[in-house]
Amino acid sequence: MSEQQVEKKADKSVFLERLIFNFRPLWVVLFALLTVFLGWHASQVRPEASLMKMIPTNHPFIQNFFEHRDDLASLGNVVRIAVETTDDTIFTADFQKTLQEITDEVFFIPGVDRTGLKSLWTPNVRWSEVTEEGFVGGPVIPDNWDASEESLEQLRTNVLRSGEVGNLVANNFKSALIYVPLNEINPDTGEPLDYQAFSEELENRVREKYQSDDIKIHITGFAKIIGDLIEGAMQVGLFFLIAIIITLVMLFAYSRCWRSSFAVLGCSIIAVVWQLGIIKLIGSGINPYSMLVPFLVFAIGVSHGVQIINAMSSNRVEGHNRLMSSRLAFRALYIAGLTALISDAIGFTTLMVIDIAVIQELAIAASIGVAVVVLTNLGLLPILMSYFGISERGRRYSERVRDEDHPVLTLFSRFSQPKWAYSALAVALIGLSWGIIQGQQLKIGDLDAGAPELRPDSRYNLDNQFIVDNYSSSTDIFVVMAETEPSQCIAYDNLEVMDRFSWHMENTPGVQDVKSVVYVAKMGSFALNEGNLKWFSLNRNQYVLNANTGRTPPGLINPDCSMAPIIIYLNDHKAETLRTVVEAVNTFNANYQQEGLELLMAAGNSGIEAATNAVIEDAQYEMLLWVYGVVIVLVFITFRSLRTVACIVLPLALTTVMSQGLMATLGIGVKVATLPVIALGVGIGVDYGIYIYAKMKEGLERGMHLDDCYKYALDSTGKAVGFTGLTLAIGVATWIFSPIKFQADMGILLTFMFIWNMLGALILIPALARLFSRFGKRIH
Amino acid sequence: MIRTRVCASAVALAFSLAAAAQEAPVDDYDVIYAPAMIAPEATSAVLTEIATTADRQVAVGDYGVIVTREHGSDDWQQADVPTSVFLTSVDFANDSIGWAVGHHGVILQTTDGGQTWERQLDGFQYIDLQLAYYEERVAELEAELASDELDPEQQMELEFQLDNALFQLDNAVFAQEEGPTKPFLDVLALSADELIVSGAYGALLSSNDGGASWQIRDDRIENPDGFHLNAIQNLGDTLFLAGEAGQLFRSDDRGLSWETLTSPYYGSFFGMYIDQQERLWVYGLRGNIFVSEDQGESFTQVKLEDPVNINAAIDAPDDGLYFVGNGGVVAYLSADGELVEHTHKSGAVLTDLVINADGNLTFVGQRGVLSMPSSALTEKD
Repeated sequence: MSEQQVEKKADKSVFLERLIFNFRPLWVVLFALLTVFLGWHASQVRPEASLMKMIPTNHPFIQNFFEHRDDLASLGNVVRIAVETTDDTIFTADFQKTLQEITDEVFFIPGVDRTGLKSLWTPNVRWSEVTEEGFVGGPVIPDNWDASEESLEQLRTNVLRSGEVGNLVANNFKSALIYVPLNEINPDTGEPLDYQAFSEELENRVREKYQSDDIKIHITGFAKIIGDLIEGAMQVGLFFLIAIIITLVMLFAYSRCWRSSFAVLGCSIIAVVWQLGIIKLIGSGINPYSMLVPFLVFAIGVSHGVQIINAMSSNRVEGHNRLMSSRLAFRALYIAGLTALISDAIGFTTLMVIDIAVIQELAIAASIGVAVVVLTNLGLLPILMSYFGISERGRRYSERVRDEDHPVLTLFSRFSQPKWAYSALAVALIGLSWGIIQGQQLKIGDLDAGAPELRPDSRYNLDNQFIVDNYSSSTDIFVVMAETEPSQCIAYDNLEVMDRFSWHMENTPGVQDVKSVVYVAKMGSFALNEGNLKWFSLNRNQYVLNANTGRTPPGLINPDCSMAPIIIYLNDHKAETLRTVVEAVNTFNANYQQEGLELLMAAGNSGIEAATNAVIEDAQYEMLLWVYGVVIVLVFITFRSLRTVACIVLPLALTTVMSQGLMATLGIGVKVATLPVIALGVGIGVDYGIYIYAKMKEGLERGMHLDDCYKYALDSTGKAVGFTGLTLAIGVATWIFSPIKFQADMGILLTFMFIWNMLGALILIPALARLFSRFGKRIH
Repeated sequence: MIRTRVCASAVALAFSLAAAAQEAPVDDYDVIYAPAMIAPEATSAVLTEIATTADRQVAVGDYGVIVTREHGSDDWQQADVPTSVFLTSVDFANDSIGWAVGHHGVILQTTDGGQTWERQLDGFQYIDLQLAYYEERVAELEAELASDELDPEQQMELEFQLDNALFQLDNAVFAQEEGPTKPFLDVLALSADELIVSGAYGALLSSNDGGASWQIRDDRIENPDGFHLNAIQNLGDTLFLAGEAGQLFRSDDRGLSWETLTSPYYGSFFGMYIDQQERLWVYGLRGNIFVSEDQGESFTQVKLEDPVNINAAIDAPDDGLYFVGNGGVVAYLSADGELVEHTHKSGAVLTDLVINADGNLTFVGQRGVLSMPSSALTEKD
């Protein structure tokens, strides 16, 4: 190419191109300074897992819960430590000594509400029995405890009389429980409880220290889930490293040029650093959900970077110098790149319709990330490459492959021929039917037992299973708040309606048990009447009721007696169970209206989940509508043809339907973690279609035959599309190994969607184009 | 498993669904008048007593639950009951007519062997009865006191009675405000017409016309402290009452007048039973069981090892007796006095029991209907 031609080409430069390339040193310095600044902020980012952010805070259930949050605090935030012996029974001197030591140890862990701490070795655990003279009783540990056989026998008797079998002592007498209520706010310092630090203390001071061949420790509770979540999230750093290494290998395999491989990698990592730095600056944290975003940003960065170096090496082959190759690559790609990135960003933004903070944070982080990629990989990368240039080896490789027909591309290029096209469409229809049929089974919410955030075989869930198996307590709790006028929470009329409500709920499928101050009042009447069960009832006399509720444990009524939680223990937290419970409460409220009493949903882990499910269920279709609406409009604006819209959107829709089928098959529910995946998949998936169709359209406009158009499109972008699909898939596939269940679910689904969208674009777009061209002929 | 009577319930359901659409929501809920909810978990409600007729077993308990099952069937059916109060006792005069009593002064009658029930009395009516009775009683006593022919002893006795009647009248006036607070605790059906109900704070009530009208009988027994009358039982025409703090009474005229017996125990009795050999058993707090072979003149003690409340007894097929009590205690006392104690695995309070045709035991109590093979008591565990 002559100098003249180059000059001429440079004249065609656009404003953006001049802006970037005329001030290269300035930009490099600016980018370097910004990277240092944002890098410093990014290094301050710590993963956090806040309950508040995972729940739909504007849902009426959650609003009700917030209103009574302080009063309900002592109910929910509890850690249970089960100390298990491998011997036959806990009534041995050795075991009791260990239990006593652990109780003392736990007593001194910061965050523990010491007055509420309960174990056989705390003085608040007592036995009592009725005698002719009234009650007698005492602490379960005999006063004259000396670890002798007699003491142990006395202890056993006291335990049986205390009613703690199933509560503090396992039904099989092989383990004992330490019940550890927590102070959400440190009463001395006013600081909120640091769950992760607390969880670590438990590990170090209890499990590490006391677990042995004879003693097994099992710990459950919300604080432990959060601790394990954050610990698990830390491992994601390792996955990121693995993704970087695999990507580097792929980049080199693609370009055979170390310089450009490192440049693309470097720019993509800079994009991640900026993204993290910016979210730190705007005060939005990173949570186990939005941790996905750096992976996406990295992968998107790489895929766009690849387009740049791809174009550059073509330009080098054509004989342009480094700078000119870079300028021309920028000029050729910036519109397609911007369009694709904008469509990504808009796809992510649709997630804002879901009223759950972690999803919104994810949407913000992803949009910021994409914006950053525009700067780093469409701005910084061409500048850097204009200095480094493509290596000679890379240029030669590029020259060589240009003239070869890649076997895979040859395979794909057949899909514009009628026979192949219709076969592909037939297979797609089968896939679609499978997706629709399987998708009927798709469930809302979490489907596994225990803590659904963690894997079913995680240590936490095994511990949880142990406690559920050996103690009479369900961990799925739905709380209805009975709200009254102050000092009316135990008024006879209110208690009677609450009692009716409890019985109504006990007869609702999925409900194991119902407990509230009503139960305390009835038990009180039973106990104060010499243990005569014929008194297990509410009395109209308020003084009698007051006496009967005298021993109400804290938490079952609030200090000014205007709210009493009714605790409903459930079999599980499946969406169906929760829906049945919510409906049962609504039915009761519709049928019984008591002046001055309101039965409000909902608190407890299951109550919150019911609200989350409701929001997810509503948002599910709304979000799909938005995503597809945006994509359709965007594609229509770009190509101004409904046929093109159909060609690009139908393969995406197929992927969406099939991924729902996949979710149903794998038992993954629609939940906070998986809902955004669809939007991400569609938002990024549309890129492929845009790239391929753009080239096909170019061919058609030049009067090429459809088969040739597609071959032309494949030759110019097919390889890049395939590469992009694979890099994106690899970036998220590492997540499949995350110890956090929902991250693994996200990983599986995104990998599936990225690969399937890529295949859909490469196979179905030409096939659909073929199909529509036939209709087109008929119409004309 | 609970299944409501299919035919009737299907119709009832259709009606209630239609009615639910139109009916205004309940805004003055009172447990006395609210019909018992048809509940899939009815057999898990707290149940207090179980009775047997020729056709079926009938158990009563919390939330107005009355469940029945045909002999030999495992299928419990919930009866239509026009109240949701806690029912404490059930007794049948014959195979079709029976009564159930409970808290809030409720008395129910069945005439079809326990399948449907009607409310004969509620606590508000009971308070009115008490008011009328004590007003009349006060008037009577005042008239008697006004006559001149009284000796000082008679005078004192009448004044004492007047004081008591005035006190009860005050209570009834106050109760009109507060509502019924005294539960009935036991019912004894002597015949299709004649029944006696005992209750808390010395309540005693009888009817001679199958519950159409009621007579207050509280002042026929000497119970100045108003102790609860926990159990009532009869041996032919001789009636026995047992209660709080070792109270024991006997009547030889079908409840018109009562004499106080010398009690073998100062703790509370919760139940009485008359066995096949016409021995009277009374039992109560802390594993205390007493038996009398002379109609309550003298007692012999059988003491359980477990110091828990004993609530009910029944003849075993082999001349022994079974007892049940709190903490899941099931005891077997053989004819020659050997005692075997066992704890039901539920550990629940057991308040009553029946023996099925196959010899196995069915209990009611804190956890509803429970069962146990009788072999559990003979095989040492």
